Amino acid sequence: MATAQVSEAEKVYILHGIRDDLRVDGRGCEDYRHMEVETDVVSNTDGSAKVTLGHTAVLVGVKAEIGKPRPMIPDEGYLEFFVDCSANATPEFEGRGGEELGTELSNTLYKVFNNQHSLDLRSLCISPGEHCWVLYVDVLLLQCDGNLYDAISVAIKAALFNTKIPKVHISSDDEGGKEIELSDDPYDCMRLDVENVPCMVTLCKIGHRHVVDVTLQEKACSVASLVISVTHKGVITCTRKVGRGSLDPESICEMTEAGKRVGKALHSPLMKLLQQEESLGKKRQKVGFLG
Amino acid sequence: MLKSKTFVKKTRSGGVMKVVREHYLRDDIWCGSEICTECKQDSTVLQRDACIESNLCTFPHYLVPDTNVVLHQIDVLEDPVICNVIILQTVLQEVRHRSAPVYKRLKDIIHEQGRHFYTFTNEHHRETFIEREPGESANDRNDRAIRVAVKWYSQHLKTDESGPDGVRVVLLTNDQGNKQKAEDNGLLVYRCNEYIKSLIANTELVDRLALSNEDKNEIASSKILFPEHLPLSKIQAGIKSGSFIQGTFRASRDNYLEATVFVQGEGEDSNEVLIQGLQNLNRAVHQDVVAVQLLPKNQWVAPSSVVLQDEGAAKDDDVDGDEEEKLVNSMKATGKVVGIIKRSWRPFCGMLNVSQIKESTRHLFTPADRRIPRIRIETRQASTLAGQRIMVAIDGWPKDSRYPNVRPFRMMYPTEKQRLLQHLVSIINDVWFRAILSDMAQRQDLRHLTVCSVDPPGCTDIDDALHCRELENGNLEVGVHIADVSHFIRPGNALDKEAANRGTTVYLCGKRIDMVPELLSSNLCSLRSNVERFAFSCIWEMNHNAEILKTRFTKSVINSKASLTYAEAQMRIDDTNKNDDITKSLRGLNKLAKILKRKRIENGALTLSSLEVRFHIDSETHDPIDLQTKELKETNSMVEEFMLLANISVAQKIYDEFPECALLRKHPAPPPSNYDILMKAAKSKNVTIHVDSAKALADSLDGAKVDGFQYFNTLLRILATRCMMQAVYFCSGMDSDFHHYGLASPIYTHFTSPIRRYADIIVHRLLAVAIGADSTYPDLMDKHKQSALCNNLNYRHKMSQYAQRASVAFHTQLFFKTRGILNEEGFVLFVRKNAIIVLIPKFGLEGTVFFDSKDKASPKLVFDEEIPGVSVPVPEAEPQAKKQKLDR
Repeated sequence: MATAQVSEAEKVYILHGIRDDLRVDGRGCEDYRHMEVETDVVSNTDGSAKVTLGHTAVLVGVKAEIGKPRPMIPDEGYLEFFVDCSANATPEFEGRGGEELGTELSNTLYKVFNNQHSLDLRSLCISPGEHCWVLYVDVLLLQCDGNLYDAISVAIKAALFNTKIPKVHISSDDEGGKEIELSDDPYDCMRLDVENVPCMVTLCKIGHRHVVDVTLQEKACSVASLVISVTHKGVITCTRKVGRGSLDPESICEMTEAGKRVGKALHSPLMKLLQQEESLGKKRQKVGFLG
Repeated sequence: MLKSKTFVKKTRSGGVMKVVREHYLRDDIWCGSEICTECKQDSTVLQRDACIESNLCTFPHYLVPDTNVVLHQIDVLEDPVICNVIILQTVLQEVRHRSAPVYKRLKDIIHEQGRHFYTFTNEHHRETFIEREPGESANDRNDRAIRVAVKWYSQHLKTDESGPDGVRVVLLTNDQGNKQKAEDNGLLVYRCNEYIKSLIANTELVDRLALSNEDKNEIASSKILFPEHLPLSKIQAGIKSGSFIQGTFRASRDNYLEATVFVQGEGEDSNEVLIQGLQNLNRAVHQDVVAVQLLPKNQWVAPSSVVLQDEGAAKDDDVDGDEEEKLVNSMKATGKVVGIIKRSWRPFCGMLNVSQIKESTRHLFTPADRRIPRIRIETRQASTLAGQRIMVAIDGWPKDSRYPNVRPFRMMYPTEKQRLLQHLVSIINDVWFRAILSDMAQRQDLRHLTVCSVDPPGCTDIDDALHCRELENGNLEVGVHIADVSHFIRPGNALDKEAANRGTTVYLCGKRIDMVPELLSSNLCSLRSNVERFAFSCIWEMNHNAEILKTRFTKSVINSKASLTYAEAQMRIDDTNKNDDITKSLRGLNKLAKILKRKRIENGALTLSSLEVRFHIDSETHDPIDLQTKELKETNSMVEEFMLLANISVAQKIYDEFPECALLRKHPAPPPSNYDILMKAAKSKNVTIHVDSAKALADSLDGAKVDGFQYFNTLLRILATRCMMQAVYFCSGMDSDFHHYGLASPIYTHFTSPIRRYADIIVHRLLAVAIGADSTYPDLMDKHKQSALCNNLNYRHKMSQYAQRASVAFHTQLFFKTRGILNEEGFVLFVRKNAIIVLIPKFGLEGTVFFDSKDKASPKLVFDEEIPGVSVPVPEAEPQAKKQKLDR
C-alpha cells in the first residue's frame, strides 16, 4: 500500500495535534475530508460513480449480466467484486504491485456484502435456478491518498444507486424452453434499493485517539486500524483489523462505537445528495474526469 | 455536438448487452431544395416547381412518407408520377431494418435522377435530432422525429421570400394517431390513400395501393378459420425433439383439400406425410417448407380418391365425413401443418374470376397451377383484366381469411429483355471472329467422309450427324459427329453464363426458346448440309456384329452431305434402286442399330411409351389446324441407338479420366410401391407384371397382350412411364450410384445435343480436356460447383418439360375450340370415387370426367366441363366399378 515517508519530528507533531483533536489539515478526529460524488460517469456501464476524498479518487462501474444463480441459493443473484489498483494511482502499483492490495480490498468487499441486510439479492433473480443478474462491481483506484476503504464503499453505494438494470421477462413455452425477452424501452429498467448498503468507516488508532479518514502522513503514525462497515441504521455488517500493530479490546469497543456514529452520519447526507443528483436528470451538466 | 445513443440488446448467447454509440450532430446538412437560399449546397435535388397534379394540393409540394407508407406502398412510390419526395433518414433506417427488398427498391428510386427523391439525414441534423423520452416507444419516437423533421422543413422553406404559394411539405401517413399529432403541430398531413386518390389522371395508381391495416380488418370476418402458426423458435425446438417433422409441402393436383409433405430423410428414410382438410393444411402453399405434427394413429387416413376443385363454396370439410369406408390397409401417416418454416411465395400466373357483383372490387384469382390455392385480389379494373393472364404475388394469409391476400400485381417491363439481347449480339460478333481465325491444327479433317444428318422435319438446330463406311479390313467404321458448341461458347463469358442458367432449349408448339442465340444454334453450330462445320466426333471401329473394337474421340471438321428427315432417310433405305454413298451409309447404320437395340433390350432396357402430339399450325393465325400423334420410324431408333452408344462411350471416357468431376446422368430404380398403379391396371385384365428388375419389367411388358385390345400394351407402357423416377444429372464425385435404370447401362451421360442442352457442353469440355484438345478451367474441376450446376440443369430440364406439356395442352384446347363436339375413342386410366381420368389416344389428351356435374347428376353419360367441346362416351365405367380399370 501506498505509504508516505514521515520523519520522527513530524510524527510527534501529528500525534500531539491529534491528542488535542486538531489534525494537520485542521480537521477534528471524526471529520472527513472534502468529498465529491458524481454518478453516471461511464456511459457504457449500467451504473457508475466517481468519488474523490481529499486526493483519493475512486471510480466504480457496475455491469449487470445474466448468469446462472449459485446452486445453493437458486433464487438470488450475486455480486462480483474486482478492484484494480492502477499504476496511475501510485507508482508502487506498477506491474503486479497493486495485486495484493486489490485482492485484499475485494475480499473485504465480499465480506461486507455477504449478508442478508446490505442488498436485496432476491430482486436480482430472473428465474429461480436458471437465470439471475450478476452485478460485476469493478473498482478502479485512480489516486491514493489514504482511506481507500471508505472512498470505495461510498463509490459503490453511489454506483449501485445509479445502476439501471434493463427489465426482462421470461416467456416460456410448453416445450420447457425459456426465452428471455428484453424490454423495448431503454428507460424501462429496474433500480436497486441501496438504502441498506453499508459504508465502511476506517478508524485509525493514533496515540490514544481513534481517527477517521486518515491521510497518508497520519497513517504512518498509526499502528493499527479497524474497518467497520455500517448500514444507515447503525448495523455493523463486518469489521476487520488492518495493520501490523495490535488493538486492546477496550479500544476496539470504543472504535466500533465511534465507527457507528460516524457511519450513520455519513449515510443520510450521501443519500440526499444522490437523490438530488438523480432528480436533475438529463439536464445535469456532467463534470467527468476533466472537471 | 456529441450525443451518445444508448440501447440494450440481447446477445446470441442469451445475455444482455448495453451498447453505447456516439452520435454526432451537425449543422451543415442541407435541405436539398432548389428554392432554398440559406443552405450552402452545391447541387439540389428537389425542384422549385414540384408539381404532382392533385385535387388536395394544388400548390407545389414535397412529399414526406412515413415508414409504413414506404413499406406498404412501395409500388406506388415506384411510379414515375410520384416525384419530389423527401425520404427521411429515420424512415430509410427503419425500412432497411424491416424489409431488405423494399429497402433495395427504395434505394433504386432514390438513385434515379429524374425522380427527385432526396434523403434528408434528419438524425444527424442539429435541429431535427430528438432523443427518445421515457415512456416513449421506439415507433413513437420515430414518428415524432418525422414530425419534427417535417416541421423543420416547412419552417425552413417558408422563411424564403416565396410568398403564399411557395412550396409546402406534405406528410403522408396512414397512422391515425400520428396524423392527429401532426395536425396539432400545424403540419400539412394526409392519409396515403386520400392523397393518391386525389391525384388527377392516375387512376391505376389507386389499384396499386396495398390494403392498409384498417382495410384488412374490414375484410376479415370474425371467424377464425385457421389455427395459429407456431413461432419459428418453437418449431425448431419441436423439430429437434422430434415432435415435428420438417418437409416440403406438395399440394395435390386433384384435390385441393389434400396434400403431401415430402420429408427428406437419409437414404431410404425419405417418406411422405399426408395432410387432409383445410384446417390441417393451415395456409401452406405448394412448395413451402413446413413443420408437420403427426396425428395419432387412429386418425390416420388413406389418400382420398375424390377429385375436388375449389369452387369457392363453403363445403369445406364434408369430405372427411363420408370418407369412413376407406380401406384400412392403405392408411398413410397423416399429420397437420403447425408452422411454416419458409414460404416459397413467388409471383403466380393465372386468370381473374370476375366477381358476380358488379361494383365489387374484390375478385378471386385462379392460378394456372392447380396446386396453388385461389387468391383474393382487389382491383377496380376487373373489366380490363378479365380474360387476360396476369401475374400476382401473395402478400400474406391471415388466419381468419379463407384465401390469401394478394399484393398489387405488376406487369413485366420489356426493356430488360431487349437490353440483354443487344448485349448478346455484341458478343456473337466476337464469336464469329474467333471461328474464322481459329487454327485447324487440332482438328482432324473429315470433310471427305459421307456424313449426313437425320432429324425431324423443320429442324434447324442440327447437332448430330452420322457416317458409316467399310474399312479395308472388312470392319465397319461408324462415326457420330456432334456440333462443337464448346468451341464457340468459352467458359465464363456472358454467353456461357446465360446458357448455363437457361440449361436447355425449350420446345413449345410452333416456338422454340433457345439456350444459345439463334446465330449459333441454327447456323454456326448446326451441322447443315454442304457447309463446313466444326464437330466433335466419336468414331468406332466395329465388326459386323456391332461389337466395338476401337473407340476414338477427336475434334474435327466435317462437311455434311445431306440433311434428311426421318421419313426421307427411311425412304432411301427402303428404295432398292438407290445405291449412292449416303444410302449405303444409312443402310449400314440401320443394320448395326438393329443389332445394338436387340442387345440393349436383352440387357433389360425398357421401351416405354408416352403420347406425343404434333400440331399442324396455320402459318398466319397460329391456330392449330390438325393434330396427329407422333409416329416412330425405324430411322428414329437408328439415330437414337447411335446417340446412346456415343453417350455411353463418352461417359466411360470422362469418368475414367475424371472420376471426381465427370458430369453423368443417372436414372435411379423406382421403389416397388411406384408400380402399384401399373400392377392394378394390369390385374384388371388378368395380366401379371413383374417389377423385380428392369429386365423382368421389360419382359412382362412385352408379354402383356390382350386379344382384341391392341392398345392395351401401349397403355401399360404409358402407365409404366409414370412409375419411373426422374433421370438426373449429377457429378460423379458426389454420388456412388451411377446406374441408368431405363437404359440398363452402368454409366451414362449426355453428349449428343450440345446446342440444346448445357450438360452436353460441359461433357464436351471434359472430353476435350481428356483428349488434350482443350485446356481446363477451375470451375470444371470443382465438384461442388459441378454439383450446383447439375441441380440447376435438373431443375431447368423439369421446368422445360412442364412448359412443353402445358404448351401442348394449350394448343389441344385451341384445337378443340373450333371443332365443336367430336366422338372419339377413349380409355379410362384411373377410376376415382366421383370421377374418372380418361385418355384419348388420338389427341394425346387426358382429362378428368366428373360423374356428377353441377346441374345434373347423370351416372352414365357425362358432358365434361373441363374439356370444352369433347363428349366422351363411357359405356361401362360406373361409379362403383373400381376394378374395371382400362376398360374401353
